[in-house]
Amino acid sequence: MHLLEGEGVSIHFGGLAAVSDVSFYIDQGEVLGLIGPNGAGKTTLFNLISSCYVPRPGILKFKGKNITGMSPYKICRLGIARTFQTVKIFANMPVIDNVRIGSLFGNTRSPASAEANQQSIELLEFVGLSRVMNTPARDLTLANQKRLEVARALATKPELLMLDELMAGLNPTEVAQAMDLVRQIRDKGITIIMIEHVMKAIMSVCGRIIVLHHGQKIAEGTPQEIANSKTVIEVYLGE
Amino acid sequence: MAKSPSFIGSLKPAGPESLTNLVIIVLALVFFGTFLFYTDIDSIIVFYLFYCFIFIIIGQGWNIVAGYTGQISLGSHAFFGIGAYTTAIIWLRDITHTWYFFDPLVMFLSGLAAAVFAVIIGIPILSRLRGDYFSFATLAAAQVFTVLVLRGGKLTEGAMGLRIPGTLFEDLGIYYWTGLLLAILATAAVFFVTRSRLGLALRAISEDEMSAASHGISVLRYKLIAFAIGAFIIGVGGNLYAYYIFSISPPAVLNLNWLFYPILVCILGGNGTIGGPVIGGFVVGAIVVFSETLIGRVHPMVSGVLIILVMKFLPTGLIGLKAKVFQRH
Repeated sequence: MHLLEGEGVSIHFGGLAAVSDVSFYIDQGEVLGLIGPNGAGKTTLFNLISSCYVPRPGILKFKGKNITGMSPYKICRLGIARTFQTVKIFANMPVIDNVRIGSLFGNTRSPASAEANQQSIELLEFVGLSRVMNTPARDLTLANQKRLEVARALATKPELLMLDELMAGLNPTEVAQAMDLVRQIRDKGITIIMIEHVMKAIMSVCGRIIVLHHGQKIAEGTPQEIANSKTVIEVYLGE
Repeated sequence: MAKSPSFIGSLKPAGPESLTNLVIIVLALVFFGTFLFYTDIDSIIVFYLFYCFIFIIIGQGWNIVAGYTGQISLGSHAFFGIGAYTTAIIWLRDITHTWYFFDPLVMFLSGLAAAVFAVIIGIPILSRLRGDYFSFATLAAAQVFTVLVLRGGKLTEGAMGLRIPGTLFEDLGIYYWTGLLLAILATAAVFFVTRSRLGLALRAISEDEMSAASHGISVLRYKLIAFAIGAFIIGVGGNLYAYYIFSISPPAVLNLNWLFYPILVCILGGNGTIGGPVIGGFVVGAIVVFSETLIGRVHPMVSGVLIILVMKFLPTGLIGLKAKVFQRH
Protein backbone atom coordinates (compact mmCIF):
# COMPACT_ATOMS: atom_id res chain seq x y z
CA MET A 1 0.00 0.00 0.00
CA HIS A 2 1.25 3.45 -0.89
CA LEU A 3 1.43 6.17 1.73
CA LEU A 4 -0.36 8.63 -0.52
CA GLU A 5 -2.02 7.90 -3.79
CA GLY A 6 -3.84 10.09 -6.30
CA GLU A 7 -6.03 8.69 -9.07
CA GLY A 8 -6.92 10.90 -12.00
CA VAL A 9 -6.77 14.04 -9.90
CA SER A 10 -8.11 17.11 -11.73
CA ILE A 11 -9.30 20.59 -11.01
CA HIS A 12 -10.52 23.34 -13.31
CA PHE A 13 -10.58 27.05 -12.63
CA GLY A 14 -13.07 28.41 -15.13
CA GLY A 15 -11.85 27.11 -18.46
CA LEU A 16 -8.34 26.43 -17.23
CA ALA A 17 -7.40 22.89 -16.33
CA ALA A 18 -4.97 23.70 -13.53
CA VAL A 19 -4.39 20.04 -12.78
CA SER A 20 -5.63 17.51 -15.27
CA ASP A 21 -5.91 13.75 -14.74
CA VAL A 22 -2.75 13.39 -12.68
CA SER A 23 -2.16 10.01 -11.07
CA PHE A 24 0.71 9.59 -8.67
CA TYR A 25 1.83 7.75 -5.57
CA ILE A 26 4.40 8.15 -2.86
CA ASP A 27 5.77 5.44 -0.59
CA GLN A 28 6.84 5.58 3.02
CA GLY A 29 10.34 7.04 3.39
CA GLU A 30 10.59 8.47 -0.13
CA VAL A 31 11.65 11.96 -1.10
CA LEU A 32 9.59 12.82 -4.16
CA GLY A 33 10.41 15.87 -6.25
CA LEU A 34 7.72 17.80 -8.09
CA ILE A 35 9.02 20.06 -10.83
CA GLY A 36 7.71 21.92 -13.82
CA PRO A 37 7.63 25.41 -15.31
CA ASN A 38 5.71 28.22 -13.61
CA GLY A 39 1.98 27.65 -13.78
CA ALA A 40 2.37 23.91 -14.27
CA GLY A 41 0.01 23.16 -11.38
CA LYS A 42 2.52 22.09 -8.73
CA THR A 43 1.22 24.24 -5.92
CA THR A 44 -2.35 23.49 -7.00
CA LEU A 45 -1.57 19.80 -6.57
CA PHE A 46 -0.36 20.55 -3.03
CA ASN A 47 -3.56 22.48 -2.41
CA LEU A 48 -5.52 19.47 -3.61
CA ILE A 49 -3.62 17.07 -1.37
CA SER A 50 -4.07 19.33 1.66
CA SER A 51 -7.75 19.65 0.69
CA CYS A 52 -7.70 23.43 0.23
CA TYR A 53 -9.34 22.48 -3.07
CA VAL A 54 -11.38 19.38 -3.75
CA PRO A 55 -10.49 17.47 -6.93
CA ARG A 56 -13.21 17.12 -9.57
CA PRO A 57 -12.89 14.43 -10.66
CA GLY A 58 -10.24 12.41 -8.85
CA ILE A 59 -9.57 10.43 -5.72
CA LEU A 60 -6.90 10.89 -3.07
CA LYS A 61 -6.01 8.10 -0.69
CA PHE A 62 -3.80 8.31 2.38
CA LYS A 63 -2.68 4.94 3.71
CA GLY A 64 -5.43 3.35 1.65
CA LYS A 65 -8.14 5.55 3.14
CA ASN A 66 -10.09 7.88 0.88
CA ILE A 67 -9.42 11.45 1.99
CA THR A 68 -11.02 13.27 -0.95
CA GLY A 69 -13.02 16.29 0.22
CA MET A 70 -12.02 16.00 3.85
CA SER A 71 -11.60 19.29 5.77
CA PRO A 72 -8.05 20.69 5.61
CA TYR A 73 -7.67 20.54 9.38
CA LYS A 74 -8.52 16.84 9.39
CA ILE A 75 -5.99 16.19 6.65
CA CYS A 76 -3.37 17.82 8.83
CA ARG A 77 -4.39 15.72 11.82
CA LEU A 78 -4.17 12.58 9.72
CA GLY A 79 -0.48 13.30 9.25
CA ILE A 80 -0.10 15.41 6.12
CA ALA A 81 1.65 18.72 6.77
CA ARG A 82 2.75 21.38 4.35
CA THR A 83 4.64 24.62 4.00
CA PHE A 84 3.54 27.47 1.78
CA GLN A 85 5.38 28.90 -1.20
CA THR A 86 4.21 32.38 -0.29
CA VAL A 87 5.21 32.19 3.34
CA LYS A 88 2.08 32.01 5.48
CA ILE A 89 3.49 32.26 8.96
CA PHE A 90 1.40 33.92 11.66
CA ALA A 91 3.34 37.14 11.25
CA ASN A 92 2.23 39.00 14.36
CA MET A 93 2.79 36.12 16.73
CA PRO A 94 6.07 35.27 18.39
CA VAL A 95 8.06 32.57 16.59
CA ILE A 96 7.44 30.06 19.37
CA ASP A 97 3.65 30.52 19.23
CA ASN A 98 3.70 29.68 15.52
CA VAL A 99 5.24 26.33 16.33
CA ARG A 100 3.05 25.74 19.38
CA ILE A 101 -0.03 26.03 17.18
CA GLY A 102 1.22 23.17 15.06
CA SER A 103 2.00 21.17 18.15
CA LEU A 104 -1.27 21.87 19.98
CA PHE A 105 -3.71 21.51 17.10
CA GLY A 106 -1.96 19.56 14.38
CA ASN A 107 -2.37 16.08 15.75
CA THR A 108 -5.25 13.99 17.02
CA ARG A 109 -3.30 13.44 20.20
CA SER A 110 -3.15 16.96 21.58
CA PRO A 111 -0.26 17.38 24.02
CA ALA A 112 -0.42 19.22 27.34
CA SER A 113 0.76 22.79 27.08
CA ALA A 114 4.07 22.20 28.86
CA GLU A 115 4.79 19.30 26.52
CA ALA A 116 3.86 21.40 23.49
CA ASN A 117 6.23 24.12 24.65
CA GLN A 118 9.03 21.61 25.07
CA GLN A 119 8.42 20.13 21.62
CA SER A 120 8.32 23.59 20.07
CA ILE A 121 11.61 24.59 21.66
CA GLU A 122 13.22 21.37 20.43
CA LEU A 123 11.93 21.93 16.90
CA LEU A 124 13.18 25.50 16.87
CA GLU A 125 16.58 24.18 17.91
CA PHE A 126 16.37 21.61 15.14
CA VAL A 127 15.79 24.25 12.45
CA GLY A 128 18.17 26.69 14.11
CA LEU A 129 15.75 29.33 15.33
CA SER A 130 15.97 28.90 19.09
CA ARG A 131 17.68 32.25 19.53
CA VAL A 132 14.77 34.20 18.04
CA MET A 133 12.05 32.29 19.85
CA ASN A 134 10.25 35.36 21.23
CA THR A 135 10.68 37.61 18.20
CA PRO A 136 7.52 38.41 16.24
CA ALA A 137 7.64 36.12 13.21
CA ARG A 138 7.33 39.05 10.78
CA ASP A 139 10.77 40.31 11.83
CA LEU A 140 12.58 37.18 10.61
CA THR A 141 14.55 37.06 7.36
CA LEU A 142 12.96 35.15 4.48
CA ALA A 143 15.28 32.19 5.05
CA ASN A 144 14.32 32.06 8.70
CA GLN A 145 10.62 32.45 7.93
CA LYS A 146 10.91 29.39 5.72
CA ARG A 147 12.66 27.52 8.51
CA LEU A 148 9.82 28.55 10.77
CA GLU A 149 7.31 27.14 8.27
CA VAL A 150 9.18 23.85 8.38
CA ALA A 151 9.31 23.79 12.18
CA ARG A 152 5.62 24.61 12.38
CA ALA A 153 4.73 21.85 9.91
CA LEU A 154 6.94 19.35 11.75
CA ALA A 155 5.23 20.27 15.01
CA THR A 156 2.08 18.59 13.71
CA LYS A 157 4.06 15.31 13.74
CA PRO A 158 3.41 14.51 10.08
CA GLU A 159 4.09 11.27 8.28
CA LEU A 160 4.09 13.17 5.00
CA LEU A 161 5.59 16.62 4.66
CA MET A 162 5.00 18.76 1.58
CA LEU A 163 7.61 21.46 1.01
CA ASP A 164 6.60 24.16 -1.46
CA GLU A 165 9.67 25.91 -2.88
CA LEU A 166 11.58 25.85 0.33
CA MET A 167 14.69 27.16 -1.38
CA ALA A 168 13.28 29.84 -3.64
CA GLY A 169 14.77 33.23 -2.87
CA LEU A 170 17.55 31.85 -0.72
CA ASN A 171 21.25 32.50 -1.32
CA PRO A 172 23.63 29.57 -2.03
CA THR A 173 24.66 29.16 1.61
CA GLU A 174 21.05 29.12 2.72
CA VAL A 175 20.18 26.64 -0.04
CA ALA A 176 22.89 24.31 1.25
CA GLN A 177 21.52 24.63 4.77
CA ALA A 178 18.00 23.98 3.55
CA MET A 179 19.15 20.85 1.71
CA ASP A 180 20.78 19.60 4.90
CA LEU A 181 17.53 20.27 6.71
CA VAL A 182 15.55 18.25 4.18
CA ARG A 183 17.95 15.32 4.55
CA GLN A 184 17.71 15.46 8.33
CA ILE A 185 13.90 15.43 8.12
CA ARG A 186 14.08 12.44 5.78
CA ASP A 187 16.39 10.70 8.25
CA LYS A 188 13.75 11.16 10.93
CA GLY A 189 11.59 8.84 8.83
CA ILE A 190 9.28 11.51 7.45
CA THR A 191 8.20 11.10 3.85
CA ILE A 192 8.67 14.24 1.76
CA ILE A 193 7.20 15.70 -1.41
CA MET A 194 9.02 18.82 -2.48
CA ILE A 195 8.33 21.40 -5.16
CA GLU A 196 11.56 23.02 -6.16
CA HIS A 197 13.15 25.06 -8.90
CA VAL A 198 16.66 24.71 -7.56
CA MET A 199 17.70 21.73 -9.71
CA LYS A 200 20.86 20.99 -7.78
CA ALA A 201 18.73 20.46 -4.68
CA ILE A 202 16.12 18.35 -6.42
CA MET A 203 18.66 16.14 -8.14
CA SER A 204 20.69 15.42 -5.04
CA VAL A 205 17.91 14.93 -2.49
CA CYS A 206 15.05 13.27 -4.35
CA GLY A 207 14.82 9.59 -5.09
CA ARG A 208 12.12 10.10 -7.72
CA ILE A 209 10.80 13.07 -9.64
CA ILE A 210 7.47 13.90 -11.25
CA VAL A 211 7.33 16.59 -13.92
CA LEU A 212 4.16 18.60 -14.45
CA HIS A 213 3.44 20.79 -17.43
CA HIS A 214 0.16 22.63 -18.13
CA GLY A 215 -1.47 20.61 -15.37
CA GLN A 216 -0.46 17.26 -16.80
CA LYS A 217 2.12 14.73 -15.71
CA ILE A 218 4.59 14.52 -18.56
CA ALA A 219 7.39 12.52 -17.00
CA GLU A 220 8.28 10.51 -13.96
CA GLY A 221 11.50 8.75 -12.95
CA THR A 222 14.79 8.90 -11.15
CA PRO A 223 16.73 12.19 -11.25
CA GLN A 224 19.01 10.66 -13.88
CA GLU A 225 16.11 9.66 -16.13
CA ILE A 226 14.50 13.07 -15.79
CA ALA A 227 17.75 14.88 -16.59
CA ASN A 228 18.06 12.87 -19.79
CA SER A 229 14.40 12.97 -20.77
CA LYS A 230 13.78 14.64 -24.09
CA THR A 231 10.27 15.81 -23.20
CA VAL A 232 11.48 17.44 -20.02
CA ILE A 233 14.29 19.27 -21.76
CA GLU A 234 11.88 20.49 -24.42
CA VAL A 235 9.48 21.79 -21.82
CA TYR A 236 12.17 23.64 -19.93
CA LEU A 237 14.33 24.90 -22.76
CA GLY A 238 12.06 24.85 -25.80
CA GLU A 239 12.67 22.66 -28.84
CA MET B 1 12.17 29.72 31.45
CA ALA B 2 9.55 31.24 33.77
CA LYS B 3 6.31 29.53 32.93
CA SER B 4 3.17 28.64 34.81
CA PRO B 5 1.87 25.30 33.58
CA SER B 6 -1.81 26.22 33.52
CA PHE B 7 -1.28 29.06 31.05
CA ILE B 8 -0.60 28.79 27.38
CA GLY B 9 0.26 32.46 27.14
CA SER B 10 3.51 34.10 26.15
CA LEU B 11 6.65 32.35 27.26
CA LYS B 12 8.30 35.66 27.99
CA PRO B 13 9.03 36.12 31.67
CA ALA B 14 6.97 38.81 33.39
CA GLY B 15 8.74 42.11 32.83
CA PRO B 16 8.39 45.57 34.34
CA GLU B 17 5.61 46.37 31.90
CA SER B 18 3.32 43.66 33.21
CA LEU B 19 4.09 44.91 36.72
CA THR B 20 2.91 48.40 35.69
CA ASN B 21 -0.25 46.84 34.27
CA LEU B 22 -0.85 44.97 37.51
CA VAL B 23 -0.48 48.18 39.52
CA ILE B 24 -2.91 49.99 37.20
CA ILE B 25 -5.43 47.15 37.49
CA VAL B 26 -5.22 47.06 41.29
CA LEU B 27 -5.54 50.85 41.56
CA ALA B 28 -8.54 50.85 39.21
CA LEU B 29 -10.22 48.04 41.15
CA VAL B 30 -9.67 49.84 44.46
CA PHE B 31 -10.93 53.10 42.99
CA PHE B 32 -14.10 51.69 41.44
CA GLY B 33 -14.61 49.27 44.31
CA THR B 34 -14.76 52.11 46.85
CA PHE B 35 -16.17 54.83 44.62
CA LEU B 36 -19.75 54.65 45.88
CA PHE B 37 -18.66 55.07 49.50
CA TYR B 38 -17.57 58.68 48.99
CA THR B 39 -19.90 59.73 46.16
CA ASP B 40 -23.51 60.84 46.20
CA ILE B 41 -25.47 57.92 44.76
CA ASP B 42 -27.69 60.27 42.75
CA SER B 43 -24.69 61.92 41.11
CA ILE B 44 -24.54 61.86 37.33
CA ILE B 45 -21.10 60.31 37.69
CA VAL B 46 -22.66 57.09 38.98
CA PHE B 47 -25.06 57.10 36.06
CA TYR B 48 -22.12 57.75 33.73
CA LEU B 49 -20.12 54.86 35.16
CA PHE B 50 -23.09 52.51 34.82
CA TYR B 51 -23.22 53.37 31.14
CA CYS B 52 -19.47 52.90 30.84
CA PHE B 53 -19.77 49.42 32.32
CA ILE B 54 -22.42 48.49 29.76
CA PHE B 55 -20.17 49.79 27.00
CA ILE B 56 -17.20 47.86 28.34
CA ILE B 57 -19.28 44.67 28.48
CA ILE B 58 -20.62 44.90 24.93
CA GLY B 59 -17.24 46.16 23.73
CA GLN B 60 -15.51 43.06 25.10
CA GLY B 61 -18.18 40.90 23.47
CA TRP B 62 -17.39 42.43 20.09
CA ASN B 63 -13.66 42.46 20.81
CA ILE B 64 -13.36 38.69 21.10
CA VAL B 65 -14.92 38.19 17.67
CA ALA B 66 -13.54 41.18 15.76
CA GLY B 67 -10.36 41.97 17.67
CA TYR B 68 -9.06 38.48 18.33
CA THR B 69 -10.67 36.38 15.60
CA GLY B 70 -10.70 39.02 12.85
CA GLN B 71 -14.41 38.60 12.07
CA ILE B 72 -16.25 41.92 11.83
CA SER B 73 -19.70 41.13 13.19
CA LEU B 74 -22.51 43.61 12.52
CA GLY B 75 -25.12 41.74 14.51
CA SER B 76 -24.42 43.03 18.02
CA HIS B 77 -27.77 44.79 18.34
CA ALA B 78 -29.59 41.50 17.83
CA PHE B 79 -27.60 39.85 20.63
CA PHE B 80 -28.17 42.86 22.84
CA GLY B 81 -31.89 42.81 22.07
CA ILE B 82 -32.14 39.06 22.65
CA GLY B 83 -30.55 39.52 26.06
CA ALA B 84 -33.04 42.24 26.97
CA TYR B 85 -36.09 40.45 25.55
CA THR B 86 -35.14 37.15 27.17
CA THR B 87 -34.98 38.91 30.52
CA ALA B 88 -38.41 40.46 30.00
CA ILE B 89 -40.05 37.29 28.73
CA ILE B 90 -38.68 35.11 31.52
CA TRP B 91 -39.79 37.67 34.08
CA LEU B 92 -43.26 38.41 32.71
CA ARG B 93 -44.09 34.75 32.15
CA ASP B 94 -42.67 33.77 35.50
CA ILE B 95 -40.60 31.00 33.97
CA THR B 96 -37.76 30.41 36.40
CA HIS B 97 -39.62 31.14 39.68
CA THR B 98 -36.67 33.10 40.99
CA TRP B 99 -36.57 36.75 41.98
CA TYR B 100 -35.86 38.06 38.42
CA PHE B 101 -34.58 41.53 39.37
CA PHE B 102 -30.79 41.25 39.11
CA ASP B 103 -31.19 37.52 39.22
CA PRO B 104 -27.98 35.70 38.21
CA LEU B 105 -29.97 32.88 36.66
CA VAL B 106 -31.90 35.27 34.43
CA MET B 107 -28.65 37.03 33.50
CA PHE B 108 -27.11 33.73 32.52
CA LEU B 109 -30.15 32.66 30.51
CA SER B 110 -30.20 36.02 28.70
CA GLY B 111 -26.60 35.52 27.65
CA LEU B 112 -27.30 31.91 26.75
CA ALA B 113 -30.23 32.85 24.52
CA ALA B 114 -27.99 35.25 22.59
CA ALA B 115 -25.29 32.59 22.32
CA VAL B 116 -27.79 30.04 21.00
CA PHE B 117 -28.99 32.55 18.41
CA ALA B 118 -25.35 33.18 17.48
CA VAL B 119 -24.79 29.47 16.90
CA ILE B 120 -27.98 29.15 14.86
CA ILE B 121 -27.08 32.00 12.50
CA GLY B 122 -23.35 31.32 12.81
CA ILE B 123 -23.34 27.80 11.38
CA PRO B 124 -24.68 28.76 7.94
CA ILE B 125 -22.98 32.16 7.83
CA LEU B 126 -19.56 31.15 9.07
CA SER B 127 -19.33 27.96 7.07
CA ARG B 128 -20.04 29.75 3.79
CA LEU B 129 -19.04 33.40 4.08
CA ARG B 130 -15.82 35.22 4.82
CA GLY B 131 -14.72 38.79 5.39
CA ASP B 132 -17.15 41.48 4.25
CA TYR B 133 -19.75 38.91 3.28
CA PHE B 134 -19.76 37.53 6.78
CA SER B 135 -20.25 41.07 8.11
CA PHE B 136 -23.21 41.82 5.88
CA ALA B 137 -24.80 38.46 6.59
CA THR B 138 -24.66 39.12 10.34
CA LEU B 139 -26.30 42.50 9.75
CA ALA B 140 -28.99 40.86 7.61
CA ALA B 141 -29.63 38.18 10.24
CA ALA B 142 -29.94 40.84 12.92
CA GLN B 143 -32.42 42.79 10.81
CA VAL B 144 -34.45 39.63 10.23
CA PHE B 145 -34.52 39.14 13.98
CA THR B 146 -35.75 42.72 14.44
CA VAL B 147 -38.63 42.07 12.08
CA LEU B 148 -39.45 38.84 13.90
CA VAL B 149 -39.65 40.79 17.15
CA LEU B 150 -41.90 43.42 15.56
CA ARG B 151 -44.18 40.65 14.29
CA GLY B 152 -43.84 38.59 17.44
CA GLY B 153 -47.47 38.85 18.52
CA LYS B 154 -48.15 38.21 22.21
CA LEU B 155 -44.62 37.05 22.89
CA THR B 156 -42.91 40.38 22.13
CA GLU B 157 -45.89 42.76 21.81
CA GLY B 158 -44.50 44.13 18.54
CA ALA B 159 -43.42 47.75 18.40
CA MET B 160 -44.97 48.46 21.81
CA GLY B 161 -42.53 46.15 23.49
CA LEU B 162 -42.64 44.59 26.93
CA ARG B 163 -42.69 46.38 30.26
CA ILE B 164 -41.09 44.81 33.27
CA PRO B 165 -42.07 46.03 36.77
CA GLY B 166 -40.19 49.24 37.55
CA THR B 167 -41.35 49.43 41.12
CA LEU B 168 -38.26 47.66 42.42
CA PHE B 169 -36.03 50.59 41.52
CA GLU B 170 -34.51 52.32 44.56
CA ASP B 171 -31.28 53.88 43.48
CA LEU B 172 -28.40 53.21 41.12
CA GLY B 173 -26.38 51.31 43.74
CA ILE B 174 -27.15 47.81 42.53
CA TYR B 175 -26.77 48.94 38.92
CA TYR B 176 -23.33 50.27 39.66
CA TRP B 177 -22.14 47.17 41.50
CA THR B 178 -23.60 44.69 39.03
CA GLY B 179 -22.28 46.70 36.08
CA LEU B 180 -18.84 46.87 37.64
CA LEU B 181 -18.82 43.15 38.39
CA LEU B 182 -20.01 42.19 34.90
CA ALA B 183 -17.51 44.53 33.22
CA ILE B 184 -14.73 42.92 35.25
CA LEU B 185 -16.02 39.44 34.44
CA ALA B 186 -16.31 40.23 30.72
CA THR B 187 -12.80 41.65 30.64
CA ALA B 188 -11.44 38.72 32.64
CA ALA B 189 -13.24 36.27 30.35
CA VAL B 190 -11.61 37.81 27.28
CA PHE B 191 -8.25 37.85 29.06
CA PHE B 192 -8.42 34.16 29.93
CA VAL B 193 -9.67 33.20 26.50
CA THR B 194 -6.76 34.97 24.85
CA ARG B 195 -4.30 33.25 27.15
CA SER B 196 -5.76 29.83 26.45
CA ARG B 197 -5.47 27.27 23.69
CA LEU B 198 -8.69 28.68 22.27
CA GLY B 199 -7.15 32.16 22.10
CA LEU B 200 -4.15 30.83 20.23
CA ALA B 201 -6.45 29.26 17.66
CA LEU B 202 -8.45 32.48 17.33
CA ARG B 203 -5.34 34.56 16.74
CA ALA B 204 -4.12 32.07 14.15
CA ILE B 205 -7.47 32.32 12.34
CA SER B 206 -7.35 36.11 12.37
CA GLU B 207 -3.86 36.03 10.86
CA ASP B 208 -4.40 33.46 8.12
CA GLU B 209 -7.35 31.11 7.87
CA MET B 210 -5.83 28.83 5.26
CA SER B 211 -2.63 28.46 7.21
CA ALA B 212 -4.57 27.87 10.43
CA ALA B 213 -6.65 25.13 8.80
CA SER B 214 -3.52 23.53 7.36
CA HIS B 215 -2.12 23.22 10.87
CA GLY B 216 -5.05 21.35 12.31
CA ILE B 217 -7.30 24.18 13.48
CA SER B 218 -10.99 23.65 12.77
CA VAL B 219 -11.65 27.18 11.57
CA LEU B 220 -15.45 26.90 11.61
CA ARG B 221 -15.57 25.42 15.10
CA TYR B 222 -13.35 28.06 16.68
CA LYS B 223 -15.01 30.96 14.87
CA LEU B 224 -18.34 29.65 16.09
CA ILE B 225 -17.10 29.38 19.67
CA ALA B 226 -15.79 32.95 19.56
CA PHE B 227 -19.03 34.18 18.00
CA ALA B 228 -21.08 32.45 20.70
CA ILE B 229 -18.92 33.74 23.57
CA GLY B 230 -19.13 37.26 22.15
CA ALA B 231 -22.91 36.97 21.79
CA PHE B 232 -23.20 35.66 25.34
CA ILE B 233 -21.32 38.66 26.73
CA ILE B 234 -23.36 41.14 24.67
CA GLY B 235 -26.58 39.35 25.68
CA VAL B 236 -25.70 39.80 29.35
CA GLY B 237 -25.14 43.48 28.56
CA GLY B 238 -28.67 43.57 27.14
CA ASN B 239 -29.98 41.98 30.32
CA LEU B 240 -28.33 44.67 32.45
CA TYR B 241 -29.74 47.41 30.25
CA ALA B 242 -33.22 45.87 30.46
CA TYR B 243 -33.17 46.27 34.25
CA TYR B 244 -32.38 49.91 33.71
CA ILE B 245 -34.93 50.92 31.06
CA PHE B 246 -37.79 48.60 32.14
CA SER B 247 -39.48 49.14 28.79
CA ILE B 248 -38.03 46.68 26.32
CA SER B 249 -39.00 47.61 22.78
CA PRO B 250 -37.32 47.49 19.37
CA PRO B 251 -36.48 51.24 19.36
CA ALA B 252 -34.84 50.89 22.77
CA VAL B 253 -32.80 47.70 22.53
CA LEU B 254 -32.70 46.78 18.85
CA ASN B 255 -31.77 50.14 17.38
CA LEU B 256 -28.56 50.39 15.42
CA ASN B 257 -26.80 52.31 18.18
CA TRP B 258 -26.25 48.97 19.85
CA LEU B 259 -24.49 47.86 16.71
CA PHE B 260 -22.27 50.94 16.61
CA TYR B 261 -21.43 51.34 20.29
CA PRO B 262 -19.37 48.15 20.67
CA ILE B 263 -17.51 48.95 17.46
CA LEU B 264 -16.77 52.50 18.64
CA VAL B 265 -15.66 51.22 22.02
CA CYS B 266 -13.19 48.81 20.45
CA ILE B 267 -11.90 51.06 17.67
CA LEU B 268 -11.43 54.08 19.94
CA GLY B 269 -9.89 52.09 22.75
CA GLY B 270 -7.87 49.60 20.76
CA ASN B 271 -9.30 46.57 19.01
CA GLY B 272 -7.79 43.21 19.84
CA THR B 273 -6.39 44.28 23.20
CA ILE B 274 -7.67 43.59 26.71
CA GLY B 275 -7.46 47.17 27.95
CA GLY B 276 -8.69 48.84 24.76
CA PRO B 277 -12.43 48.27 25.24
CA VAL B 278 -12.10 49.37 28.87
CA ILE B 279 -10.62 52.72 27.86
CA GLY B 280 -13.01 52.92 24.91
CA GLY B 281 -15.96 52.23 27.22
CA PHE B 282 -15.15 55.25 29.36
CA VAL B 283 -14.64 57.49 26.33
CA VAL B 284 -17.82 56.41 24.52
CA GLY B 285 -19.68 56.58 27.83
CA ALA B 286 -18.55 60.19 28.20
CA ILE B 287 -19.62 61.02 24.65
CA VAL B 288 -23.05 59.46 25.11
CA VAL B 289 -23.78 60.70 28.62
CA PHE B 290 -22.23 64.17 28.77
CA SER B 291 -22.07 65.53 25.28
CA GLU B 292 -25.84 66.04 24.98
CA THR B 293 -25.79 68.41 27.96
CA LEU B 294 -22.41 69.98 27.31
CA ILE B 295 -22.37 70.58 23.58
CA GLY B 296 -26.00 69.94 22.69
CA ARG B 297 -27.12 68.67 19.37
CA VAL B 298 -23.74 68.71 17.67
CA HIS B 299 -22.51 65.70 19.62
CA PRO B 300 -23.00 63.07 16.90
CA MET B 301 -20.79 65.26 14.73
CA VAL B 302 -18.15 65.55 17.41
CA SER B 303 -18.06 61.82 17.99
CA GLY B 304 -17.89 61.24 14.25
CA VAL B 305 -14.92 63.57 13.90
CA LEU B 306 -13.31 61.97 16.93
CA ILE B 307 -13.57 58.52 15.35
CA ILE B 308 -12.04 59.71 12.10
CA LEU B 309 -9.18 61.39 13.95
CA VAL B 310 -8.49 58.32 16.07
CA MET B 311 -8.50 56.02 13.06
CA LYS B 312 -6.24 58.38 11.15
CA PHE B 313 -3.68 59.09 13.84
CA LEU B 314 -4.12 56.21 16.26
CA PRO B 315 -5.08 53.14 14.27
CA THR B 316 -4.23 51.01 17.29
CA GLY B 317 -6.67 53.00 19.43
CA LEU B 318 -6.10 55.06 22.54
CA ILE B 319 -4.25 52.16 24.13
CA GLY B 320 -1.73 52.49 21.32
CA LEU B 321 -0.80 55.90 22.75
CA LYS B 322 1.15 54.16 25.47
CA ALA B 323 3.44 52.43 23.01
CA LYS B 324 3.91 55.70 21.09
CA VAL B 325 4.81 57.61 24.25
CA PHE B 326 7.22 54.93 25.43
CA GLN B 327 8.95 54.78 22.05
CA ARG B 328 10.00 58.42 22.30
CA HIS B 329 12.05 57.81 25.43
